[in-house]
Amino acid sequence: MASQIKTEIEANGKNLQYWKDIWRYRALAIELAKRDITVRYKQTIIGLGWSIINPIINMLIMSFIFGTVAHLSSDGDAPYTVMVYAGTIPWTLFSRNILLASGSFLSSVGIMKKVYFPRIILPVSTSISTLIDSAISFFVYLLILLISFFSSGFVPSIRILLVPLFSMLPIALGFFIGLFLAPLNIKHRDLNQAIPFLITIGQYVTPVAYSFTVAVNAVPEKIRFIYELNPVAGVVNAFRWCIISTNEFHWPSFISALVFIAVFVPLGIKRFRKGERTFIDLV
Amino acid sequence: MAIKMEDNRPVILKATGIGKKYIIRHKKKYPIDGTRRDKMKYRLSPQIKEDFWALKDINFEVREGERVAIIGRNGAGKSTLLKLISRITEPTEGRITYYGKVAAMLEVGTGFNIELTGRENVYLNGAILGLSREEIDARFDDIVEFSEVGRFIDTPVKRYSSGMLVRLAFSVASTLDPDILIIDEVLSVGDMRFREKCLKRMGEIANKGKTILCVSHIMNVVRGLCDRAIVLEDGKMIYDGDVEEAIKIYNGIHKEAKHGHYDYDIWNRPQGYYCDRLVIKSLDLLETEDCIYAWNEPIKFKFHVEALREESNVSLRVTFRRDGGGPVSTVFFEPFIDFKEGSSADIYVTVNSHNLAPGDYKAALTLSKGAPYDLHDNIDSIDPDGFLFTVMNVGSENEINGMRDDSARLWSESWGHSRIVDASVEAVIK
Repeated sequence: MASQIKTEIEANGKNLQYWKDIWRYRALAIELAKRDITVRYKQTIIGLGWSIINPIINMLIMSFIFGTVAHLSSDGDAPYTVMVYAGTIPWTLFSRNILLASGSFLSSVGIMKKVYFPRIILPVSTSISTLIDSAISFFVYLLILLISFFSSGFVPSIRILLVPLFSMLPIALGFFIGLFLAPLNIKHRDLNQAIPFLITIGQYVTPVAYSFTVAVNAVPEKIRFIYELNPVAGVVNAFRWCIISTNEFHWPSFISALVFIAVFVPLGIKRFRKGERTFIDLV
Repeated sequence: MAIKMEDNRPVILKATGIGKKYIIRHKKKYPIDGTRRDKMKYRLSPQIKEDFWALKDINFEVREGERVAIIGRNGAGKSTLLKLISRITEPTEGRITYYGKVAAMLEVGTGFNIELTGRENVYLNGAILGLSREEIDARFDDIVEFSEVGRFIDTPVKRYSSGMLVRLAFSVASTLDPDILIIDEVLSVGDMRFREKCLKRMGEIANKGKTILCVSHIMNVVRGLCDRAIVLEDGKMIYDGDVEEAIKIYNGIHKEAKHGHYDYDIWNRPQGYYCDRLVIKSLDLLETEDCIYAWNEPIKFKFHVEALREESNVSLRVTFRRDGGGPVSTVFFEPFIDFKEGSSADIYVTVNSHNLAPGDYKAALTLSKGAPYDLHDNIDSIDPDGFLFTVMNVGSENEINGMRDDSARLWSESWGHSRIVDASVEAVIK
């Protein structure tokens, strides 16, 4: 008995137990992520192939519209496709994380009505699945880089080794903002409609399909600093900086991203914890 | 309170002054006779919030190895209590303290995904119930064996029969090895034989000295499994102690509650019903003392409907469910009434019980516009527990077609929940 863990449940109680529980339930996060990915490709013929086709098609469309049709210039010596793909990886990580984390209460009501586990496991598991998708997507990118080396002699920067580190930034940014938004989604479902819509807009405001330098020069000087402080641009730029050796590190947007993360980590966790306590009474 | 004083087993769970408040939102009465302006105001007026205490002042201690049943009728707060202990939601006040791991079998098969194979589901479900991968590995063979799923373990569960699915789900849940096990009505699953197997497994768990909290409507399960019972009524604890005594008290309030009259004014409606067109206000069971019907006896009831708007072609359906189980059957009434705005009506319904097997039932009422089986325009619904009644199992000596009906006395659960009365048999001897 004495060795057994004591649990106290009370209204608005603070417990360290929660954070220990997250560790105890780590198997659940992994199993849920596995389920997400397995179920998605069940009964498809090419299965995981869809994870590869999606980003490639996306890259081709954007490269065609912005590079070939609109004649926007790429970064340095990088082929347009290489630059676009380096933008879609962090953007996808960010947007999927914000979307899934903010919807995590609603997506699994069924389980949550029946069983206790630290609810934060749900967004963590979806985050893991986005990471796996992006890892696959990154391997495809390595192939694309190989092809560009032979076709146009493009050599990626040695900084490519920093990619795992810089992939964490868009995840953190999307994840914690998503946590912050999640409780708002319970009572008023408007957000559920608004977020996908805002993500679509965001994709064009953020230099995903085009180069940051091109965009900054096109924005009027007076409001340029707003554009430069876009935190998502910060993580996208940093990711591209890992690949394209001629790119300079853009500090303002990067610092803005770090500030956003620093603010939303405590804020997001706090809001999420508050929401998870009683949300089951509201749905 | 008959708690054994000499008990010196350590306290494993302690509830101190717990209460759970829900906020119910509803609108005030529609101004039927009001001016147009009043009606406009009504539409714009905010909903009234009302506090509702599902549980209040609950205090009890559970010692290690005790097997406690929580009984009470629907809405007495049993499930809320289990939800609080299993941390699905938080109490509004008070504190629960426990030692060790709690696992709840509130509903087996939580998180089962039909696209995944049996094996994948075992791992997923196990993880949901708080097991680590190694723990599941260790009991995997046991789970498969107990579930009798055998070689179908690598088949997607959507190809399983419902019985197989339930067995597999129960098997995962039953290998849990917590310090406190919470069981809620899981025993109403599967066929008779498997249910007995489950009960046996529960008994084994109980005999291992495990602490058990159990909610069930089946008193024999309570008797077999538990050595102490808590009776809840309207969110308060009215008894704590001996099982037989508790069952007596429960039967008392159960009957009393069944007695007659239901007020649906603040009854919870299913999602999507706003009580803004027709409102079922109340219901009375007629010509019965205790809401217990002999087989073949007609169930008569009337209910009162108020119309807030004009509605024509209103139809009715009444769905019968086993108390604590699935639907048994539904009776449909084609459109039979038109309402003018502000009018009201008493509707009398008679249903013969001869198709219902002996047992406890709850009936749900739904008013809809147009055909009663069209699900698209339901107006008001009291679902799932509109009213409760029992079809008697023993002592009925009814006759049908001149034959005495023995089946009513001997009805076995494994024969199902409805009785087919129109059938014939003929033997041609050669």
